This record gives sequence, C-alpha cells and structure tokens, in this order.
Amino acid sequence: MTAVSRIPSLLGVGLIWVWRLTFGALFPTTCKYHPSCSEYAVQSLRRHGLVRGSVLAGWRLLRCNPWSRGGFDPVR
Amino acid sequence: MLYTIPIFSQLEGVMKHVLNFFHSSIGLPWAWSIVATTVVVRMILVPLTIRQIHSMQNLQKHAPQMKEIQKKYKQDRQKQNEELMKFYRENNINPAASCLPMLAQLPVFIALYYTLKHFNENFGIKPNSHVDLSFLHFIPSISDHTTSHWGGFVLLFVYVASQMASSFFMMTTTDKMQRVLFMVMPLFFVFVIAHFPAGLVLYWVTTNLWTVGQGLITRRLVGKTPAPVIERRSSRTPPKDDGSSGNGAKSEAQPPQPPSASQRPRQVRRKKKRTSRR
Repeated sequence: MTAVSRIPSLLGVGLIWVWRLTFGALFPTTCKYHPSCSEYAVQSLRRHGLVRGSVLAGWRLLRCNPWSRGGFDPVR
Repeated sequence: MLYTIPIFSQLEGVMKHVLNFFHSSIGLPWAWSIVATTVVVRMILVPLTIRQIHSMQNLQKHAPQMKEIQKKYKQDRQKQNEELMKFYRENNINPAASCLPMLAQLPVFIALYYTLKHFNENFGIKPNSHVDLSFLHFIPSISDHTTSHWGGFVLLFVYVASQMASSFFMMTTTDKMQRVLFMVMPLFFVFVIAHFPAGLVLYWVTTNLWTVGQGLITRRLVGKTPAPVIERRSSRTPPKDDGSSGNGAKSEAQPPQPPSASQRPRQVRRKKKRTSRR
C-alpha cells in the first residue's frame, strides 16, 4: 500500500486508540480472544485497509459474545 | 459536532421516550427515572450475567492448570496467552469477559449524555420554571455539570468508590500490573467524568452498584462449587473431550492410554453394574 492509500486505515486505527483511552478504559474486561478485539481491529485495518479491515473487525466483535468459545484467532 | 450524525439524535429520541415514560406514566422524579432506566438496561443484560457465572465456575475449576501454564511461559507473554487460549478451547472453557456486552452499553451512555445535555429543550422545560431535577437532596439538578455544586463532588466520590468496587468484581485477569491499573483507572477518569451532567454520573454509579451486587451474588454461587481434585478430573476429561469435539481423527491420533491403577477397579465396577442391570 502507498502512503496515501494508507490514510483511511490510519484514521480507523486512530479511532481505536481514542476508544482505548476513553471508553475502553472504563471497563476492566479482557477479551476472550487473542489477539484482543481492539488489537485485531488495528491489525486487520493495517493489513486489509479501511473497508475490509472494518468488516473483519466488526465480525470479530460480533463473535466476541458470551456464547462463543474464544481462543487464539489471528488476522488472516 | 458529533450530534450531526443522525444515529445520535435517534438514540437521544429513544432515551427521551424512556425517561418520559418513567416520569410521566409511572410518576418517578426525573433523577429516579435515570436510576430506573439503568436498572432496566442491566436487567436486560441479566441472561449474559448468568452465562458469565457459569463461565466463572468453569474457570475456577481449571485454575490450577492455568496457573501451571502461566508459570511455564513466564518470560514470553505472547506465547503464554496463546497457550492459555488453546487450553480454553481444548477444555471447553468460556472466559467470562467478552467485548460485545461491554459495547452494548455504549449507545445507552451516548443517548443519556445527549438527552441530559438538551434536557430543557427535550422536555419543554422553561429556564426559570420550577421543575424538580434534584436527587436525594444533595444534587440540585441532574442536567447541570457535576462540579457545579458541592453535591456533585460527593457523587464523584461515590463514583470512584463504586467503580473501584465493580472493577474488583469484574476483573478476570490474574496479572498483577493489570489489576492495579484497573483499580487506579477511575482516579484518572474522574477528571473526564466531572465535565458530564450529574445525571450521567448517576447512571454510572447505579450501573456500578448493580455490578457490585451481581459480583457478590456470583461470588456466593461460585464459592459453592466444590474445589475439584486434580486426579479425578484427569480421569473425567478424555470421554468429555471425545463427545464434544466429535472429531474422529483426533481420537485416533492419541494412543490409547493405559488406565492408572486407581482408575482400573472403578471402571470394572461400572461395567459390572451395567450388565447386572440389563
């Protein structure tokens, strides 16, 4: 990816950091997956860009519910 | 600026109706309508809580083995995490924490924030009219900034205490550094939350107290499960594993383990019992 095409995904990564420092800090929970949901989102945005990365991150968030089993789940 | 995003105004509209229902239809004061809304939200999340209690019981059962894994990979945190996650999967453990229920509370928070921010316009209250927005005689108005009255500081103090208590109960990590971090966090967060309307702090205090109550009940329930003996568990896991995975290849790959001396007589006795019944 070129520097310019990376800008949208970097914006997404910035948003995740805002979440981590503000609202995410309020909840003392650790994710059931490894890497954690926010880490997964950062990685998928960096690797797949804003659109595909966000979809992947959103799908992971939906999977991170009390009925799923959790575990080792890296970005593909 | 964020208000221009349509979903926020829709959220505000929903919250407006909910608060109005508690105030006008049930007749609660405004401040208590917020408390009632919080309680309703948490009651909706109760099924998740029950699930969490089961998870915690399961986690506690396997605690000794998990500690062993943590000891084994003390230097490599990444590897330690991966191994723990594998262990969860192999033993069908569902860690108590997950991200989605946490995220589900965000819209409620945003909705309440905007509803309180535009409180007077939302409910058609004129600036000089005498409407009771107080809470327990120490908060004069739930739509004012928390720090605009001495009562707000009391509320902030209660917030810090309740947040620390709820962190204590919600924590699933055994890492000491993280535990300390979560306990200290509210001390920093209080500076942010001080700028919010008092009603929003009231929401947080209520939800935290609910968490604490839930934590106390959970502890009592989890505490009742007997601590398992490691030897007994090792004899129980293999058949459970076969049944849950249903993976024929997996069971083939494992060489049949000769039962230990302590297990053999028990198995024989069971077989005998079955044949005698039939």
